[in-house]
Amino acid sequence: MEQKHDSSLGPQEAAMIGWIHDFAPYGVITTDCAFRIQSWNHWMEIHSGRGSGEVAGGELFKLFPELIERGFVARFNRALEGEVSVLSTALHGYLLALPPVMRDSGFHEMQQTARVAPLRYQGQTVGTIIILEDVTQREYQSSVLRRQHERDNILSWALAHLLESQDPRRSIRELFFKVAEQFDLEAYLLYMTEPDGATIKLQAAGGVSQEAQDQLGRLTASSALGRRLLGSRRPEALEDLQQSTAEESILHSFLGFHACAIIPLIVGDEFLGALCLATRIRARLQEGELDLLSTIGQYLAVALGKEATNLKLRSAQSKLSHHAQGLERIVDERTVRLREIISELETFSHTVAHDLRAPIRALTGYCQVLIEDFSASLPAEARDIIDRLHGACQRLDVLTQDLLEFSKISRQEIQLAPVDLDSVLSEALFLSLAEPSSITVRRPLFSVVAHRTLLQQCLSNLIDNAVKFVAKGARPQVAIWTEYVWTETDPAAAPRQPPFSPARQTSRSVDDSPAPSRKVRIMVEDKGIGIPPEAHGKIFGIFERGASSAAFPGSGIGLAIVARAMQRMGGACGVESEVGVGSRFWLELPSA
Amino acid sequence: MDLNPTQKDALTELINIGYARAAGALSDLTGHRITLEVPHVAIHKVSEITPMLQKVIEGEVASVHQVFGGPISGDAILLLDKAAAVLLNRLLTDRPEAKELDGAACEVITEVGNIVLNACLGVFGNLLQVQVAFTVPDLRIESVQQVLSSITVEDQELQFALMIHTRFYLRTSNVSGYLVMILGVTSLERLILELKKWEDRQAG
Repeated sequence: MEQKHDSSLGPQEAAMIGWIHDFAPYGVITTDCAFRIQSWNHWMEIHSGRGSGEVAGGELFKLFPELIERGFVARFNRALEGEVSVLSTALHGYLLALPPVMRDSGFHEMQQTARVAPLRYQGQTVGTIIILEDVTQREYQSSVLRRQHERDNILSWALAHLLESQDPRRSIRELFFKVAEQFDLEAYLLYMTEPDGATIKLQAAGGVSQEAQDQLGRLTASSALGRRLLGSRRPEALEDLQQSTAEESILHSFLGFHACAIIPLIVGDEFLGALCLATRIRARLQEGELDLLSTIGQYLAVALGKEATNLKLRSAQSKLSHHAQGLERIVDERTVRLREIISELETFSHTVAHDLRAPIRALTGYCQVLIEDFSASLPAEARDIIDRLHGACQRLDVLTQDLLEFSKISRQEIQLAPVDLDSVLSEALFLSLAEPSSITVRRPLFSVVAHRTLLQQCLSNLIDNAVKFVAKGARPQVAIWTEYVWTETDPAAAPRQPPFSPARQTSRSVDDSPAPSRKVRIMVEDKGIGIPPEAHGKIFGIFERGASSAAFPGSGIGLAIVARAMQRMGGACGVESEVGVGSRFWLELPSA
Repeated sequence: MDLNPTQKDALTELINIGYARAAGALSDLTGHRITLEVPHVAIHKVSEITPMLQKVIEGEVASVHQVFGGPISGDAILLLDKAAAVLLNRLLTDRPEAKELDGAACEVITEVGNIVLNACLGVFGNLLQVQVAFTVPDLRIESVQQVLSSITVEDQELQFALMIHTRFYLRTSNVSGYLVMILGVTSLERLILELKKWEDRQAG
């Protein structure tokens, strides 16, 4: 153009201008001060479809009237005042409306970065120069990246949200709004299979009328849509539904869908249901849309599967806890009833024993009167009967006294305190019938925590038994001593210990935890007749006597009293014995 | 060389007039209300500028640079720290996901810098009632030191800098930036002289 042939330019400069005119990959336009086009390079000819001769001298704003509407005139005016303007694509899109070279870019105009600058010649502004750069490709790439980024965001949001959700049916609603915004989807239907496996039920929906939801609330294979959803095993796009004559065209005729994605919800091999996402505007789904939706469907399926498992687990837990509560209630009821029965029995036995003693004493008294006052006048046979009667009465008295004692031990309140075993044993020995020479006490005797009177009674009973149950003619030999034992059990739990348990093999252990508690075992050992093993568990019961003890006098209550007394004191007792060798009874109490 | 309080006030007022134009242009462009705060103006030696700016801007900065010529000549630079540039681009373009300065974002920053620089340089033109010629703005992302050293080494005459601290408010955010104009001794003397004349005209 004019500049190209300016005689004041050197050959290099003229060549450069020529190159810009013919080959530059930019649009270059110059105008005069009235914005009439003065030059229009080859790039402009190609991209506008107009030759430079066609536009030369034409007014820029007439050729591109949009410049006025879009408020660009001020920039051109300021260029005449010396200012340079940069026009970014992100804020303007383009300066001059030209068709895009790139097809399928999604842009209606070529995206441009533009510069408008004053054109100066010899110190004077002679017009403006416009430079255009085509950035459509760049903008397209960045829009693809942006879309990918948005999809990634949706996916990671969906993953985090659905997998954490306690209620995935509700979460799908929130998720739908995000997905809908991204893809222009207008509706969704979430169907889940019923336990029968042949019916699917609508669990959540959006963008679908209530009437349609009611009508499509429950589907079976007898309907085309039901068959399609029940049989769905891989994500599928149904497109151009408005032209479809297929049986599922109900999607268009009834719901107005033009295209939809049907995503089966499968966890492992289990088909949980299907998700249908649809558009009423677009005839087809976008590229990559089905992939993204099916990924979301997979997340949803996992979340729904997890929900179902949690539901089962909670129901099982609730059943179990219900059952346990029932059991506890039954145990409580039975315990209360048992306590009542025991209490009634104890009251009964106390009353019986107490009331029995009066007639027994009368019987004994009358027997004595008969013996003392009338024995001379009675035949020998009658005297013998009276003696036997008297003996029987005395035995009955002892029996009732012991019963009374047993029931008293069971009922009375007791206080535990440290007890000096030496003094208690001395008292017990003093009261017992045993010859002192038959008893060996191995000192020292350790102190225990016990109820003094009950402990004395237990020791008396054991010593009496030890000297009583010896072979005829043999001299009793009794040894008494104490030992420490360590138990790992919590001392508080000790009263629950079965009081009649056979001797436990408790050994001292230092590395067991919790810290073992120290107990004292009081041993009473005899060289008597011994007790057969089968009787070991029984002899502590009331009225139980060893078979071999038939020849010995006694009520059969003595060891029952010992056992009950030890139980009341939170201790334990037991026996080790061998027939013909002897017995070793032990009492175990907390160390003082 | 320094400005007395009256000269400083006069310069602040003049730049503020330019800023009103820039804010209007940016608001029209984005559809959001944009306010440019009353700038702080000071004259410093060029050698003091780098350490001073390094204290307030760390790491890389986005700089928009335009050279201007005529009776007053020098370099005009808008400096934004990178985070501020990213934020500004996000606020102007409604692209909430933009975390880096890509090609499109650099253009947006260049355009904003261009508008702000033009507004300030236009003030000189009006003041001197002569045309000021500008080069096309140039965006760089580098350290403060690199930005300033690439300018000052070229001309020993460029000794003084007019520093304008500026702040944009848009929506609920604010973006802070610095405008530095490096002038030669002659240009600065001329500027101060013209300022005085302008004051006299205002008073008269």
